[in-house]
Amino acid sequence: MPFNLRDTGATLWANSNKWQRYLIAGVIIVGAFALPLLEGTFLNTPRTPFVSVLFYPIGVYVLMALGLNVVVGKSGLLDLGYVAFYAVGAYTAGILSMHTKLNTWEILPVGIALAMLSGFVLGAAVLRLRGDYLAIVTLGFGEIIRITALNSSAVGGANGISNIPNPPTTFGFTFDLESDRNYYWVVLILIIITILIIRGLSARRPGRAWESIRQDEDVAELMGVNTYKYKLWAFVFGASVGGAAGVLFASKAMFIAPNIFNYNISILILAFVVFGGMGNIWGVVFGAVLLSYIPERIRFISEARMLIFGLVLIIMMNLRPDGLLPRKKREKIGIAGGEIK
Amino acid sequence: MDFSVLTDQFASLTFDGIALGFIYVLIALGYTMVYGVLRLINFANSEVFMLGSFATILVATKLFNHTIESDPLTGFKLVYTMTAMLVGAMIVSGVASVIIEIVAYRRLRSRTSNRLTSLISAIGVSIVLAEAVRMATSSAPMGSPRLLDKTILATVWGADIRVDTLLVIVFAIILLIVLDLFVNKSRLGMGIRAVSMDYDTSRLMGINLNKIISTTFLIGGLGTGAASFFYITVYEMTRFSIGFELGLAAFTAAVLGGIGNIRGAFAGGIALGLIEMYASAVLGTQWRSITAFVILILVLLFKPNGIFGESLQQARV
Amino acid sequence: MSNQPVLELKNVTMQFGGVKALNQVNLQVNKGEICALIGPNGAGKTTVFNVVTGVYVPTDGEILFNGKSLKGKNRHKITKMGIARTFQNVRLFGEMTSLENVITATDVHNKSGLVGSILNTPRSRREEKAGREKAHEILKFMGIDHRSDQLAKNLPYGDQRRLEIARALGTSPEIVLLDEPAAGFNPSEKKSLAELIVKIRDRGYTVLLIEHDMSLIMGISDRVAVLDFGEKIADDLPSVVQNNPKVIEAYLGVPADAS
Ligand SMILES: Nc1ncnc2c1ncn2[C@@H]1O[C@H](COP(=O)(O)OP(=O)(O)OP(=O)(O)O)[C@@H](O)[C@H]1O
Ligand SMILES: [Mg+2]
Repeated sequence: MPFNLRDTGATLWANSNKWQRYLIAGVIIVGAFALPLLEGTFLNTPRTPFVSVLFYPIGVYVLMALGLNVVVGKSGLLDLGYVAFYAVGAYTAGILSMHTKLNTWEILPVGIALAMLSGFVLGAAVLRLRGDYLAIVTLGFGEIIRITALNSSAVGGANGISNIPNPPTTFGFTFDLESDRNYYWVVLILIIITILIIRGLSARRPGRAWESIRQDEDVAELMGVNTYKYKLWAFVFGASVGGAAGVLFASKAMFIAPNIFNYNISILILAFVVFGGMGNIWGVVFGAVLLSYIPERIRFISEARMLIFGLVLIIMMNLRPDGLLPRKKREKIGIAGGEIK
Repeated sequence: MDFSVLTDQFASLTFDGIALGFIYVLIALGYTMVYGVLRLINFANSEVFMLGSFATILVATKLFNHTIESDPLTGFKLVYTMTAMLVGAMIVSGVASVIIEIVAYRRLRSRTSNRLTSLISAIGVSIVLAEAVRMATSSAPMGSPRLLDKTILATVWGADIRVDTLLVIVFAIILLIVLDLFVNKSRLGMGIRAVSMDYDTSRLMGINLNKIISTTFLIGGLGTGAASFFYITVYEMTRFSIGFELGLAAFTAAVLGGIGNIRGAFAGGIALGLIEMYASAVLGTQWRSITAFVILILVLLFKPNGIFGESLQQARV
Repeated sequence: MSNQPVLELKNVTMQFGGVKALNQVNLQVNKGEICALIGPNGAGKTTVFNVVTGVYVPTDGEILFNGKSLKGKNRHKITKMGIARTFQNVRLFGEMTSLENVITATDVHNKSGLVGSILNTPRSRREEKAGREKAHEILKFMGIDHRSDQLAKNLPYGDQRRLEIARALGTSPEIVLLDEPAAGFNPSEKKSLAELIVKIRDRGYTVLLIEHDMSLIMGISDRVAVLDFGEKIADDLPSVVQNNPKVIEAYLGVPADAS
């Protein structure tokens, strides 16, 4: 049998007892927090400091990929306007910091809530449509948000919003131009929380509902799954994660403009999800890390980034539609990779 | 908002809207015919349009060595140059469309894999083509020499009837009539209709599906190529992102008329062209690009079958 | 067996374009019975299931479940009320295990949703555990518990058919609609399935069964309704229907179809 990282990992996990699992999870988490130590090694990125790359693009994109994965990978809903929620989060940060004294941590829940609200409104309107149409309508929604921002002087029009404050010093951790590492740790914490939530959902009722919708929506409905409600939840959950990523991004970049939030970002995130393995958390994390890191590491790829991501989409769909680390192929493993007792 | 613009220039907006509408109609063919046979949004059709627009200009500049400064042509020379541009665009777009089908869809189709995979593959093709052209042109727009002098033929209710817009309308009508005859009268056309109506039965009946599907993509591509020629004739400019900008509007036109339906595409295209012109006159051109999206969302919400279309909600149990 | 109707179709007409798949059909299924629905290909049997489960909205007529009209009810609501079905062409969630297929169906009566699942509340934990146990129990009842951890798509055909029934039972229905559950079975498989259907009835479920195999039907049904070209031409005890000249005529010339 050929070596398969996904299966090896899943087997290891399945055969571990509770304490071994805590140990494995602990090692992974500590390892992730320790990544900034690799600064200066062969992993170094030529143009941007390595630790900064860990936050953006890697961290932010991993977070977004996890959110989109719930929508596309788990529920089979093709959302081509995911960038809209990222934009809503970022603009919430921009606008609130212009008009209020709220700091980043206070803005974060607002940004998430507004992203969820827009996800809800969009979802409520379009989720009755089937597959293909959803793709186009969400794409259109993303463009509507961008162009509206572009033409609204209240949010700076094409110039966007600048001087968005960094987060305040928290528990002794400072957040300024020098503190790339702390930003990375924050996004890492959000990523871990998101993974925990998704794992919880996947192994339980919502995960089954999404899975059944993805496989056969008509039958799911006839087996009692309230498909509309669960599709809407998937959408809203995905939106919340995108919104969080947006707030974080804006507070580090200090500057946002409409054209940062273009269609390409939606495609980028989709490529991460597809490359790693639709529906599988680890596959998606892996895909997002790899594909957002490589263009930073290898200069000439940066320019051809979108071209390569387009190719990734075609090649993966034709040759390996389940991605590099496909979702559960083995049997005897619960949907999330382990039974929750 | 300024409604007086609308009333003052109503006739000329209408005329321009109809011309734009015909361009949409032709591009919409690439979506609607493919949707008819495969029930798949041919995402890459926008890039077929983009390629056609570059092909139109390149025929003029590379084959006939015209430059941006070239003087307009007249007489026979004008006719054959323009014809060559039209044919060039149609060939490039038609061939691109057929190749796209083979590269991006055929393999997936034969595996009866789920629709998500084909859709994502199509999006991939669209991105690759747009990006390849972006890199090749360094993101710069490409202008077209004005080979057809934009003479004003007549003025009707204050609207200038320009030769280029009139040309678009006349030729688009001719092309559409030919297409309608082809689909309704020829053997291949009937094959296309049969597959559109019932894919599975047609396969069982021994219809050569690959041939039918390739033909469908070819026709869609030819129509889209013609659209790019007309677009260049009127607007004289293209860039790598033109597909994204116009293609989706054309898709909206197809949905508006009821996707999968050629006559629907006609109605939808004209309607959209007019709405866009009126809307940008009233709201300002900066909003024009989202008019289509807003309409698309409204149509799908309130009349998901379009004006003439099939039922999208048909249960498949 | 009582005469208390569980499911009633009253003058139901279902028209597709020019085709009247059902024409003024009246049908009553009583509590605790096995009612068979037979008829030649294209008679409208599956369409009966489709209008009952809300897949199609009937053009005319009324459908009552325990006396309550199903008009305007969502499909998942109808399932929750107590009507479950299987499909003529097996339509399992192929990439889920057998167990997950059934648990998904048991979820219909659960209360906890997204938030409960994220917080892993006691109720969510309780419901997850109960669902798992119930699913195992149903799989055991259907004789396929040894398949519970296999992906549905990898099951042998016969077990897929059984899993479809198991999934339907997972929704704790009052009535199960079985659409040709023995299609493609050999005689011995058919026999064991017939026994299973009787066991299902004896567990308290009401059964509406579409089947082509006459001997299977005659052996286990309490009542047989016959459709022909969308019209009900007979509805009586199996022995009576068997000798009904109209029924014989409807089937004459129609090859005995086992598909
Ligand atoms: N969605 C639909 N659209 C159009 N016609 C339909 C539709 N569903 C069913 N029909 C038609 O209704 C009639 C009855 O079909 P139905 O599937 O109910 O037959 P059946 O009795 O189940 O036959 P079989 O034994 O072959 O399963 C057929 O003529 C069929 O073509
Ligand atoms: Mg049937």
